[in-house]
Amino acid sequence: MEDLSIILQILFWGLYAGCIYILLATGLNLIFGVMKVVNFAHGEFLMVGAYITFTVFLFTGFNPYVILLLSMLALVGIGAIVERLCFRPILGTGKLNEIFLSIGLIYIFQNGAAMIWGDAWQSVKSPYDGISVPVGPLSVPLDYIIIMVVTALILCGLYLFLKKTTIGMQMQATSQNRKGAMLVGINVERIDIISFGLGCALAAAAGTLWVVSGQVFNPYMGAIPAVKAFAIIILGGLGSIPGAIIGGLLMGLAENGAAFLLGGIWKDAVSFIVLIVVLVIRPTGLFGGKEG
Amino acid sequence: MLSNIPLSLRYATALAVIAAVALPFLTDNMFIVNLAVLMLIAIIFASAWNLLACSGQGSLGHAAFFGIGAYASTLVAVSLGITPFITIFIGAGVAAVIGILIGLTCVRLKEWFLAMVTFGFAIIVQTLVVSVLAPMTGGWDGIPSPRLVSPAIPGYQLIEYYAILLITIATIIAIWYIMRSKAGLAFLAIRENETEARAAGIDPVRYRLLAFAISAFIAGIAGALQIHHIGYITPELFGVDNSFWPITYVILGGLGTIAGPIIGTVALTVIWEGLKETGMTFARYVIIGIILILTIIFLPKGLVSLPERLVEWMARKKRKMETHPLTGK
Amino acid sequence: MKYSVFIIAALLIAAACIAGCTQQQASTQSPAASQDTIKVGVIASLTGPASNVGTNMWQSAQVAGEKINAAGGVTLKDGTTKQVKLIVGDDESTQAGGQKAATKLITDDKVDILVGGYSSAVTSAYEQTIAEYKVPYIVTGASSPIITHRTDIDTSYVFHHCPTTDTYGEYTTQFIDEVVRAAVNKKLGAPSDRPFRLAVLYQDTAFGKGVQTAVDNTIKTKNLNIVLVSQQSFKMGESDFRTQLTAIKAAKPDAVYIGAFPNEGAPAIVQARRDIGLNTIFLNVENNDNAQFYKDVGQYGEGAVIESRFSPYTAPAGAVAAAQDEFKQAYFKKFGTYPDMMGASTYEGVFIAAEAIKQAGTTDKATVRQTLTTMKMPQVIEAMKDSTISFSSGFRESSFDLWMEQLYPDAAAGETRPKIVWPDNLKTTEFVLPSWYEAGSSA
Repeated sequence: MEDLSIILQILFWGLYAGCIYILLATGLNLIFGVMKVVNFAHGEFLMVGAYITFTVFLFTGFNPYVILLLSMLALVGIGAIVERLCFRPILGTGKLNEIFLSIGLIYIFQNGAAMIWGDAWQSVKSPYDGISVPVGPLSVPLDYIIIMVVTALILCGLYLFLKKTTIGMQMQATSQNRKGAMLVGINVERIDIISFGLGCALAAAAGTLWVVSGQVFNPYMGAIPAVKAFAIIILGGLGSIPGAIIGGLLMGLAENGAAFLLGGIWKDAVSFIVLIVVLVIRPTGLFGGKEG
Repeated sequence: MLSNIPLSLRYATALAVIAAVALPFLTDNMFIVNLAVLMLIAIIFASAWNLLACSGQGSLGHAAFFGIGAYASTLVAVSLGITPFITIFIGAGVAAVIGILIGLTCVRLKEWFLAMVTFGFAIIVQTLVVSVLAPMTGGWDGIPSPRLVSPAIPGYQLIEYYAILLITIATIIAIWYIMRSKAGLAFLAIRENETEARAAGIDPVRYRLLAFAISAFIAGIAGALQIHHIGYITPELFGVDNSFWPITYVILGGLGTIAGPIIGTVALTVIWEGLKETGMTFARYVIIGIILILTIIFLPKGLVSLPERLVEWMARKKRKMETHPLTGK
Repeated sequence: MKYSVFIIAALLIAAACIAGCTQQQASTQSPAASQDTIKVGVIASLTGPASNVGTNMWQSAQVAGEKINAAGGVTLKDGTTKQVKLIVGDDESTQAGGQKAATKLITDDKVDILVGGYSSAVTSAYEQTIAEYKVPYIVTGASSPIITHRTDIDTSYVFHHCPTTDTYGEYTTQFIDEVVRAAVNKKLGAPSDRPFRLAVLYQDTAFGKGVQTAVDNTIKTKNLNIVLVSQQSFKMGESDFRTQLTAIKAAKPDAVYIGAFPNEGAPAIVQARRDIGLNTIFLNVENNDNAQFYKDVGQYGEGAVIESRFSPYTAPAGAVAAAQDEFKQAYFKKFGTYPDMMGASTYEGVFIAAEAIKQAGTTDKATVRQTLTTMKMPQVIEAMKDSTISFSSGFRESSFDLWMEQLYPDAAAGETRPKIVWPDNLKTTEFVLPSWYEAGSSA
């Protein structure tokens, strides 16, 4: 009984970690699907989102879960600017260029944030801090339940947006066949900007949820989660949003399992070991059918 | 073979070599010499990364090979008491073997996948060094590493400088030969179009592995040199920054050229140290990031292409000036 | 082509010989004796992961420099009075950066003495340079004992003014053995021979491992009745400790010793108390004692213990308290924030450097080094053993008077505040177990 409850707890922490990864990975996937671009600096948007929430919270004291929306909105704007200034000019000039460009963005965002907000570790207190609810044999803080619900809501919203709105359907069309979309009169450049902004907004949501769960953050926080999110979409198959969700959950569970069984230092390494093993067996990822 | 190099390039090369040789005579400031040593090592490292990129494989974890070379060389030198002048090549050999192993997992992978695998590999190696291999490597504490030239020898800093300069020049010449050889042409062909290369009878797997091995070997030399220069080794070598620097150097200088890594490293080192003198801290990185992005967008072939771009630009301006009175606009 | 390689090689070797000779002449020249200032080099991490601490160290050094100069500077044997000039070297939190910074300060800026150093890995990378140029160096931030214990190079110019992981691991373990054990046994009504169940949560780096090893060694060498029921590690910069804490809770500890930085220690305690329901005593390493830690840990800090030597909110009674307050105010006036522990020892480092040069009466490096080995100067702002700063004859380490403080809820601040509970000569109150405390097992 004791052991079972430990395993259940660790599964629960894995599930929570998975939520952050899912949001990051879904954002990356959305951008990749439409633009066929991979932004290694995606984690920096998570960091900026966290800092925007932090700043607004500091000045207004609003509920951080409300600020989440504001933070997402701000990141749509920042994402659109980055897309227009940095990624648009190099579209189609080679995939390596995108990777190199991301490195430049990482330098700029991390250190720009350090210049604006300082490099000290910060934290935000959730208004529901200290409230616990029983879930089966566990007693878990209310915040985690909210985080999981918010993640699910965002994902449902995204699904509805893609399936029911015109822009969403145009995004899907562009993602399936860029030239075809152009031929039927879709302004693909506008779709690019929108999907890049949306992807960044999802990263901002991940950042905000990270912050309210009581985890500390600093300007360098985003680098590793972003790379892991990328590992997740490789596992789940590039461009596949259900794949990203399953991959994100698996990654959260694998990491926490490894930290428990092998020691905390293996937490990062295990993600990449899983990735390499999968790629050796299936060079296109677990669920990836066609190559990017 | 020398005859097919343009005259201007030959002069430039000669000038660069003379400047490098003369440097210690121009200054008695050991800081400059020390900086030059680190810069030469960075040139070797950047050239190694560049060679791999020439075969179309962009690694995000070259710090792994840099670090493996450094650790292997140090451990051999310490346990067998051999001079680092020999062990750097043993260390590089170990790096090359591991490079082939990683290359094997990468040969079938596309750009992003490969970038991810190499990035993750550096993290895995770091984890191994501080956990399983800790009894040998000293874990996070690190271990002392013998100096390339013992400080007991008079003028050891300059001997070290010239030794590293010699190794750097030899490395660049070696890369020059490789790129001119059948292998080098095969690398370029694979990068341009793998299917066509295959049709032309080039075995992509073999040549991609070869590129990995050579690149890891050279990166291993750079790592071993740096650690024997500093005299102490810790697992921080495998850090992400250490993987990103060579990329930044090469992109700024010019991807896929021999001179690119050299020019990029020198230019960036000068910019970096200059900005540091002004007392900037985080702003330094922001400026480097902006320079990197501007280079990728506006000067995709790097600083080496700057002269021809300028000539083009001047010519266009001239043409405009000439047409100006005719069109009346 | 082949010939050109040989020619270049020959050229290089010839150049090396010639330059080697000229260089030797250059190095025998005495350093410029006609300086009108004493140059103190401060090596700090102004960029990279350790920039937060590094900036604090450099700013503290500036406050010290201003204070020394305002008091008239340093008078030498020949009667001249010189001002102190501080020059900073940014080690970029990397080994190569540290080596560049040290070489630049020594050979380009020609400093008389060096102060600073944070990451032990970075510091050990340029100790070689220190040994070559024989410049006295007062290390004020690196916590690994290897700094002055390594034997592969000459470390005789390196002085360690900062407690090491050995020191605080041992000190905290003793506190647990003497104080926490008694309180727990009393609460349980258990016999005094009940083994104490200690868990360790440590950062998987030289720093955290150092703490963990020190605890282990103390238990063994002093034959203490403490069992380590769980030892969990995490990677540097981790922010999610829930899995490790779940494992620790399952091992039923009586107390948890956390070997971590403040950005890890605070969330670890919050997650343990709030998410895991691990209601026990958390013991923390000294560098956790900064304002950000109290803010991050919030109300969950209640009952936790920090081993400390410089705190934002408390000070041992006496002269030190006034001096600490003066330093904090001067720092706040200049920078608008408050100094941390590493800043405090760097502040002292500059004073030690100035005092050593004053007592030596010259800036000659060998003489200054000699002075440092025997010098006894009154404590500056931190409590020292015998109220004096002096370096041990073996490994040139100074001895701090450490203390243990326990956190109490403070309604006015909305956070917790520390009170000194150990040792007896410094304490203001007694260590108590909070009412919600749960011992590992009742047996």
